[in-house]
Amino acid sequence: MSLTATATITRAKRRGRKAGWRQITASQAFLLPATIIFIVLFIVPLGQSFWWSLTDFTGYNPNPNFIGFANYATILQDPSMLAGLLFTLLFAVGTTVLITALAIPLAVQLNKVFFGRNLVRSLWFFPAIPSMAILGLVWRYILSPLDSGVVNSVLVKLGLDSVGWLSTDALAKVSVIVVGVWAATGWHAVLYTAYLQSIPAEYYEVAKIDGATSRQQFFGITLPLLTPAMVISTFLLMTGGLKVFDLPYTLTNGGPGFSTYTITQSIVVSGVGQGRYGLASALAVLFTFAVGILSFSQLALTKVIERRFS
Amino acid sequence: MNKRPLLAAAALLAAVPLALSGCSSSDDGADGKTTITFLSWTGEEQMTPILDAFSKAHPEIKVDVSYSPPVAEYIQTLQTQVLSGIAPDVFLVAAENKTNLIEGGHMLDLSGEDFVKNVEPFNMNTYGRDGAQYGLSLSSWAAGYAYNEDLLAEVGATGIPETWDEFLDLCEKLQDAGITPFLESVDQMPTTLSAMIGAKSHSMDPTLDDLIFSGESTFEAEWTGALTEYNKLYTEGLVSPDVVALDGDMVRDEFAAGRVAIINAGPWIINPVKEAAPDLNWSFGKIPAIDGGEPFVAGAASPGYAINSASDEAHQEAAKVFLSWLASPEGVETFQAQTGDVTVTSDFEPPVDPVFTTMGESIRNGELYLPMISWQRSEDVLNVEAVAQIQRMIQGQSTPQEVAQALDAKLAAS
Amino acid sequence: MTRPLRRRIVLSVVMIALALFVAIPLYFIVINTFKTQAGMVGSPLAPPTELFFGNYHDVFTDPRIYRSFLNTLYVTAAAVLLQLLVGALAAYAMIMHTSRLNTVIANLLLIGFVVPGQSTLIPLYRMLVGMKLVDDLNGLIIMYLGGSIFCYFLIQGYMRTLPYEMIEAARIDGAGALRIFWSVVLPLIKPILVTVGVFQTMWVWNDFLIPTVFISSPAKRTVVLQVYNAVSEFTTDWPMFMTVSVVALIPMVIFFIFTQRHIVSGLLAGGVKG
Repeated sequence: MSLTATATITRAKRRGRKAGWRQITASQAFLLPATIIFIVLFIVPLGQSFWWSLTDFTGYNPNPNFIGFANYATILQDPSMLAGLLFTLLFAVGTTVLITALAIPLAVQLNKVFFGRNLVRSLWFFPAIPSMAILGLVWRYILSPLDSGVVNSVLVKLGLDSVGWLSTDALAKVSVIVVGVWAATGWHAVLYTAYLQSIPAEYYEVAKIDGATSRQQFFGITLPLLTPAMVISTFLLMTGGLKVFDLPYTLTNGGPGFSTYTITQSIVVSGVGQGRYGLASALAVLFTFAVGILSFSQLALTKVIERRFS
Repeated sequence: MNKRPLLAAAALLAAVPLALSGCSSSDDGADGKTTITFLSWTGEEQMTPILDAFSKAHPEIKVDVSYSPPVAEYIQTLQTQVLSGIAPDVFLVAAENKTNLIEGGHMLDLSGEDFVKNVEPFNMNTYGRDGAQYGLSLSSWAAGYAYNEDLLAEVGATGIPETWDEFLDLCEKLQDAGITPFLESVDQMPTTLSAMIGAKSHSMDPTLDDLIFSGESTFEAEWTGALTEYNKLYTEGLVSPDVVALDGDMVRDEFAAGRVAIINAGPWIINPVKEAAPDLNWSFGKIPAIDGGEPFVAGAASPGYAINSASDEAHQEAAKVFLSWLASPEGVETFQAQTGDVTVTSDFEPPVDPVFTTMGESIRNGELYLPMISWQRSEDVLNVEAVAQIQRMIQGQSTPQEVAQALDAKLAAS
Repeated sequence: MTRPLRRRIVLSVVMIALALFVAIPLYFIVINTFKTQAGMVGSPLAPPTELFFGNYHDVFTDPRIYRSFLNTLYVTAAAVLLQLLVGALAAYAMIMHTSRLNTVIANLLLIGFVVPGQSTLIPLYRMLVGMKLVDDLNGLIIMYLGGSIFCYFLIQGYMRTLPYEMIEAARIDGAGALRIFWSVVLPLIKPILVTVGVFQTMWVWNDFLIPTVFISSPAKRTVVLQVYNAVSEFTTDWPMFMTVSVVALIPMVIFFIFTQRHIVSGLLAGGVKG
């Protein structure tokens, strides 16, 4: 505890002290490249999109007409939007919770010394390497409902019935979420591993001397000190989950029916496919707002938790 | 931290782009050649020999080709290029972007040109509107049923029946004999349904879609019958609802392995199946008829080559030479040899694999149908809706009538 | 057997078993590269009855794959180095001096995460067309610079957990901000730099969306685009597709195995005293 206390005091002292002008200029200068990139690559295009959302831009005709908020009205009255929204939320929350719950213990185990540790770590991380589009196609093949499907052929050999993993609404949703978890757990475990390095080993030694079990050590030392990492990881998972596209698209194409349809898919279908770019832009703007509100609330919440623990 | 390795790396990186940048501009050279730009949908493997043959025939024109894989990526890439004013001189118009390109006036009208005269009118009109023709479509694809002759022989059948009721009976017989009768990949518009609607539309004038899209009729009125017939496969327990999770490759593999008697298939399965199961006795057949109609097939004209209306006249002329060669017997033959497509020009008879003969005739006569290409607007949105609703129907979550009603609602809202 | 050793063996066995299970799709992809298309149709999960090297032969004798490797290497190296630099600078700036302006900027930067790629694609394309950087590898690098925000985010999170005595000491000694950044801060954050570097390398190397739209000449293709060459309108040459994918993945796998040592060689236990 003493280390953290000292650091906090030092930080407080730093805040209290007025930084010299050299400090300030350097700080602003260092911030400049990132700010420029942000404005040019994010704000400007977003503004452009917002402008288009107020027009009947078709993506092929460079001279659109202004139509006000008509696009937004159309979207809010479309029933299939609701289906996409529900699943997107389910996927985002589901993967965030499951991945966090799995990645932290995994990171702890990967931090220990055992034979074949490098191999294990690489295998867990592997799904993060190929593009999601390729993995979606591969998994679609693996989850074939036929008896000859990869998973099903194992089940059949064990004497069980084959399952239509992607053929019913509920199972398809579960399958997409499971593949999503499979794909990202290793990645986040590696992230947590880096943060585990910053927890000094002395804490554990002291705790062990005091007679703490490994469970107590985990919940009393590891978890609280990992909260900064959790803030970041869950934020990334939520935003990534809400923006998911490649995986459901290549795995189930949004089906069966609309059960695994995502908002991004709507944007692509109306924008690319239909050329109704004005409408797609409106959807994208609404979506950005929604993701923003959701993610920032979640971030604020986790930050509160973090403050409690530090 | 030692900065030197970092600087060295940076210097090396700076040198690399110089080495890598090849010639990029497609401006005309001083050697009198005209260069036209072309975004190809057919892959590099197959396109290169075709382009080489063209260069030999017309050395005065150079084709600067780039590639984008079909379908969604190609459409997206082309769209962004069109929007930024850098669309190539020659590109492909497909079902997905047909309406947008036509309405944006981005393509030249080819209807008066010499080189379209020998092309099957069905193909030219597919990528046209109100008499104008924008895409030179040289081949078509068709999909029907592929059937395993031996498995059918086990229940005493010799081919695909001509009527739908007989087909359902055949499936039942196969099922009783312990054979999986039929599998269809429903990750896209089912082949069966396309053919059924097509058969109906073929006998109508004005066509079914003319009526629906002008408001004189509805999807409910025109589609419910076919949907109900199609749904019998599932309501009578002949096919498992799991087909909603199957794609064309999976279905093909089951067929090649001899585990299913009949599947929906197109010419693209011929080579893989022959390679995987050289001893399999099989053939193609048309989809059986409903309501006293005729057996029909699903299919559409392949994407058409279009000329950019924004290019200058010299480039447009050169592009026309390119298209004219593509449509010539020599061009068509080269194209056919590379892609194996069934081409539709009257002055060249493409070799057709024996198993595919009946389908080949349908193609050359333009007796094909695909809802998405035939629809006159909002094709993508309607297609996504249709596939999703049909999947729900197969799962038993809605009725055929509700599916058709959903399509009407979607059309009205778009 | 001593208790710690036994525990270690049990842990090894469990972890390895789990990892192998997770890697089944990888196994599936790899064994199918040794089959012909026909072989794959027959029995997808079984190991090949005889190793078919034709797919690999086709890939390695194709000069285009080497070209695309070079392209991808260039783009990835440049993009990742730049992203790390920009991100680390910004992270340090945020830590160095907390003002209201900086906090506002920090929160605004988060917007970068909530924007879906689909909504900025066309505006960005038009921008690059204006700059004549479409179908150009440098244009790709610019697009990837957006990842700096991610780097900033992770790096600043890590920086906050560090004690600042060293920085304070250097500052009191009169060192300039840039000097402190280069010689003191960067070494301190090596674990996160390596981690983020690995992540971003994976992302840029394997990215498909941006090269698809922004690159059209075959000569400028990245490795992932080369993979999709095996896709045609109705069917995919699966073994070929998988083979090129595997060949594209190999450098990344090697890279990861190489660098993971560095991810975990962090601060020595208790190295920085409070």
